[in-house]
Amino acid sequence: MSTFVEEKPTQTLEPFHGVKKVPHEEYYTSGHRTCQACESAQIMKLMAKAAGPRTVVLGSTGCMYVANTSYYATPWGVPWMHTQLGSSGAAALGAAAAFRAQMRKGAMKDEPINVIAFCGDGGGADMGLNAISATLTHPDYNLLILMYDNESYANTDIQISGTSPYGVNTSFSTPGKMKRIMNHRWKKNMAPMMMIGHPTCKYVSTISTSYPLQAMNSVRRALSVGGPTFIHCLNPCPKGWDFDPVMSFELGELAVNTGIWPLYEIENGKLKLYGKTKDIANGRFKRLPVRDYLLKQGRFAHFIDEDIEFFQSKIDEMWNKWLVPGIVPLQKDLEG
Amino acid sequence: MATLTVPVEEKKKVQEQEALITGAEAIAIACKLANVDVVTAYPIRPYDTVMQYISQLVADGEMDCEYIVAEGEHSQFEIVKHASVCGARTFCGSSGVGWMYAMEALTVSPALRVPMVCMVGNRALDDPGAFGVEHNDALAVRDLGWLLTWVDSAQEALDTALIAYRVAEDRRIFVPLALSCDGAFLTHSQALVNVPTAEQVKKFLPAYNRGDLLLHPDNVISVAPQANEDWVMEIRRQNYAVTEIAPQVIREVYAEFEKVFGRKYGNPFFEEYMTEDADVVLLGMGTLSTPVKVAVRKMREQGQKVGFVRLRWFRPFAGPEIAKTLERFKAIGVIDRDFSFGSPDLSGVVATELRSAMYTTALTHPPVLDFICGLGGREVTVPDVEKMTESVFEAAKGKWQPSTQWIGLRS
Amino acid sequence: MGQLFAVEIIYRGVFQKTLAKNITRGIVLAARNEGKLGISFGRYGDSPERNGIPAKSFAIVANDQETLEAGMAQYEPKQVDVTVVLDDSLCKGAESWAWYGVQPVHHALKAGSTLIVVSLEGKTELLEKIHRRNEPYKLGIVNGAPSFSGMWVYKDDHTDVRMIGAIAKALPQLISFKSVEQFITEKLKNSVKVTSARNAFERFTATEIKPGEGNPEQLLHFTLPGWQKMRDGVSITGQPQGGPYADPVTGEVGGFRPGRNELYKKYTTRTMRPVVNFKTCTKCTLCGLNCPDASFDVTPEGTYDVNLESCCGCGVCEQVCPVKNCISMVNESEFDNNQSQWEAYRKDQDAYLKWLETTIEKAEPIEKRAHGFRYRSQYEKEIPEALEIAAKG
Repeated sequence: MSTFVEEKPTQTLEPFHGVKKVPHEEYYTSGHRTCQACESAQIMKLMAKAAGPRTVVLGSTGCMYVANTSYYATPWGVPWMHTQLGSSGAAALGAAAAFRAQMRKGAMKDEPINVIAFCGDGGGADMGLNAISATLTHPDYNLLILMYDNESYANTDIQISGTSPYGVNTSFSTPGKMKRIMNHRWKKNMAPMMMIGHPTCKYVSTISTSYPLQAMNSVRRALSVGGPTFIHCLNPCPKGWDFDPVMSFELGELAVNTGIWPLYEIENGKLKLYGKTKDIANGRFKRLPVRDYLLKQGRFAHFIDEDIEFFQSKIDEMWNKWLVPGIVPLQKDLEG
Repeated sequence: MATLTVPVEEKKKVQEQEALITGAEAIAIACKLANVDVVTAYPIRPYDTVMQYISQLVADGEMDCEYIVAEGEHSQFEIVKHASVCGARTFCGSSGVGWMYAMEALTVSPALRVPMVCMVGNRALDDPGAFGVEHNDALAVRDLGWLLTWVDSAQEALDTALIAYRVAEDRRIFVPLALSCDGAFLTHSQALVNVPTAEQVKKFLPAYNRGDLLLHPDNVISVAPQANEDWVMEIRRQNYAVTEIAPQVIREVYAEFEKVFGRKYGNPFFEEYMTEDADVVLLGMGTLSTPVKVAVRKMREQGQKVGFVRLRWFRPFAGPEIAKTLERFKAIGVIDRDFSFGSPDLSGVVATELRSAMYTTALTHPPVLDFICGLGGREVTVPDVEKMTESVFEAAKGKWQPSTQWIGLRS
Repeated sequence: MGQLFAVEIIYRGVFQKTLAKNITRGIVLAARNEGKLGISFGRYGDSPERNGIPAKSFAIVANDQETLEAGMAQYEPKQVDVTVVLDDSLCKGAESWAWYGVQPVHHALKAGSTLIVVSLEGKTELLEKIHRRNEPYKLGIVNGAPSFSGMWVYKDDHTDVRMIGAIAKALPQLISFKSVEQFITEKLKNSVKVTSARNAFERFTATEIKPGEGNPEQLLHFTLPGWQKMRDGVSITGQPQGGPYADPVTGEVGGFRPGRNELYKKYTTRTMRPVVNFKTCTKCTLCGLNCPDASFDVTPEGTYDVNLESCCGCGVCEQVCPVKNCISMVNESEFDNNQSQWEAYRKDQDAYLKWLETTIEKAEPIEKRAHGFRYRSQYEKEIPEALEIAAKG
């Protein structure tokens, strides 16, 4: 790193070695008006728990704003501030810069404060992409941007975003008499985009609420490694995906086990797969057919076999043809 | 215009330095003196020259702040908004459509009680373009709870920037403030300015203290959970209370400024030029004051009793005070360097607001004519002003004149 | 001024959204057949709806335009002629947003008017949940399990037309069955639905409930502060941290009870609740860890107790618990309070475990009591049973 980068110390957040070592304190507690089994709320809880009390959270518009914090009720046990839909990157930067300046001038006690900004897929992959990208280029500021991905603009009653799956039923992509598939875009590869596009960003990962320990440890790592960091979490959404809430955890596992949602961490350029993703890559686990995952959700109930086969072929391509499966969509066989 | 010449004894005490600087550099210096913590920059003409000056000050070690170049105005203003809530004194700015690109951030800062001070280098909105002056950019936030002020000299720019921090950061206020400087004329022309010392500024400007609204781990609050129809009226009413007390706070701060720096601005809200025995007056904001004053002097030499009122503060709009001042004249001519298409009488913003103030407070209602002039940086010439005044005098005689006229326009 | 009728449907958000709308639209369209005018709308503040969180839908109907406008001049009717409850667990009260507190299910019902509840239970069981009030009303039950579906796939099990049939019986001045039949025939074009509606109409009865009859529980109430008392800058204080708490028997302090939001109790979202076997619990922590609502207290013993004021009944805890029958989701209608299960267990272990056993035995399998879509073609499999009930009325 250039000598002109003035890195400040972060908190040293060691990973939790097992679920029984996880502290009981909650910094995101009950009292939010989210759906039953809302996995986006769950990652908020895990994120806050992992970060601890010396934290400020900036939350951009979305379910985790409107459903969580209806005025006069709040679940947050750490300071929290709303920010605009596309502003998670800017908000994190502003908070980090403010603390840094005041600490340097002696106007505030000098200590490492966790700065976390969260965004949904709408606010992160769509509207807020430029702000996040800019923030990830700032090596001087320690912060985490966490994108909770329920694959839609959920708070506005479910519309497609840049991370919505192919063919999905949402109120902006309704299957109809003429067009069965209104959304024929493929999900954006957010985490790899952040990693490859910002060479000085030290940490990017994907996590799942069905792997809570690893999710918390990823947050802790991101807050400890220094500089701006990015985490992308997949969050099953009983309302938008149309499934019985009891299945929230199971669907998170299925997303991983079908290979649709690969789990990995990239720290200082080194890639580490984890969980079932690692076993899939090593050939120790055969990917479950995507059908098992898709047909458990009402949002794909209109799929015919042709659609499921297409979806499967894209996942197969991701694992069989990509230079780095799930991560870098350059075709192998670059030589020659 | 403030009295620039300070008595010699005062000068010795004060030890101000005289410098030849642009309005933008004057504001940059004010930020340095105010010990600003976080600055965000994004290029757009003509305001961004202030950010170029600040960059040099930071690089030379003369200013200690976080200097962040954003990737767009929306982020630029969002960054300082959050930095301010986390306790930092901030500076930001934009022009024209850049300011518009930030509009979402500008809209929410008053409700969040963010005392950010911003410079607007007034510029025409493009498309259709031009780097030149139009006031519509800053005026676009006039309903949202911002404080808005216009200056017409580099000295006033520097002084008002310091005043702005003191006013905005007063706990009774705590709303954002936009300091408007006409692009090119003010931002880029170098003029003689008395630059105060750091000690003087320290005496005048206390530290920014956010109190229990500070976002920090020692103060567990949730800022801006989503309100609904059960809460929004009460939240807005709190901003209304700010506007009720803002004139008093502004008066207090100007009085304090005079005490510390020795420069007297008199009535903070508007400047009166040759109005004492005038029959008619012209009214406007910003650097059009220079050709207007020159024209007024010329017309006075010819025996015409005309005066000029230069509005400094647009928000709060000192309605009752202006109405009481203007009600004695036989006719008033407002010069709008802005437009408000489809408005009552098709007049510009300043004329429309002035008529409203006269209607509710003034005992008499002289005709108020509006002149749209100088858009996109087109020169407001002395002959233009004479032409406007002629029309105002006709109205003063009781002859019908159009409510709105476009001056200096090719047909 | 002509006569104005208002009907409210209280339902489980998202799960019964389409159902509720079908009912209120049906009322308006049926009334149209009698020359009346009406509108159908959802409660202003409910949107966006969230799974399980109580919501309301309305139909207001009048003989003439002016009277209808008088009804439309309010966001929602403050007094209704019929209240329909589409899930009987809603009888415990409904809280939607965080500051209305919990309202009894008949909060808006005019004196002497009819409350219609979809339930498999009888009047006695329901009156253990429905709160007392000072005015008399009538209670009518439409036999059946609550009909749940989701955002994209609708479970068309005739509940909508059955409810319209029942409403016609409860309030004939609003709509006659003839009008209902005409609506179903012309607009829905489904003669089997006419039969379901007729059966519901003919079988529907309502009994008088006297003032003071019902659940004596005092509900959470909340008064909104004025602008001068509210904090500046749209800010509110955050949640304080929790801590250990006392064993009810020994008084020893231990475990961890998280701080919880006192202003929003989410229990009125539940159609089912978890019951816990503290004896077989292995303290694996997974239930508490995976609960998005932080609804578990860690007991001084290290086991996991559900906080029944905050639990919203999602069922994830049962899914992640590795021990068979340690956490079981049971129909919320079985219970009439939110007392701590662990405290009951500590005070009398044997009695609790016996109670637990019978409770779990009575519990319906997940296919019956869970809510929403689990696999494609699920509703097609479930609808025949629902239609059987519809046939009996």
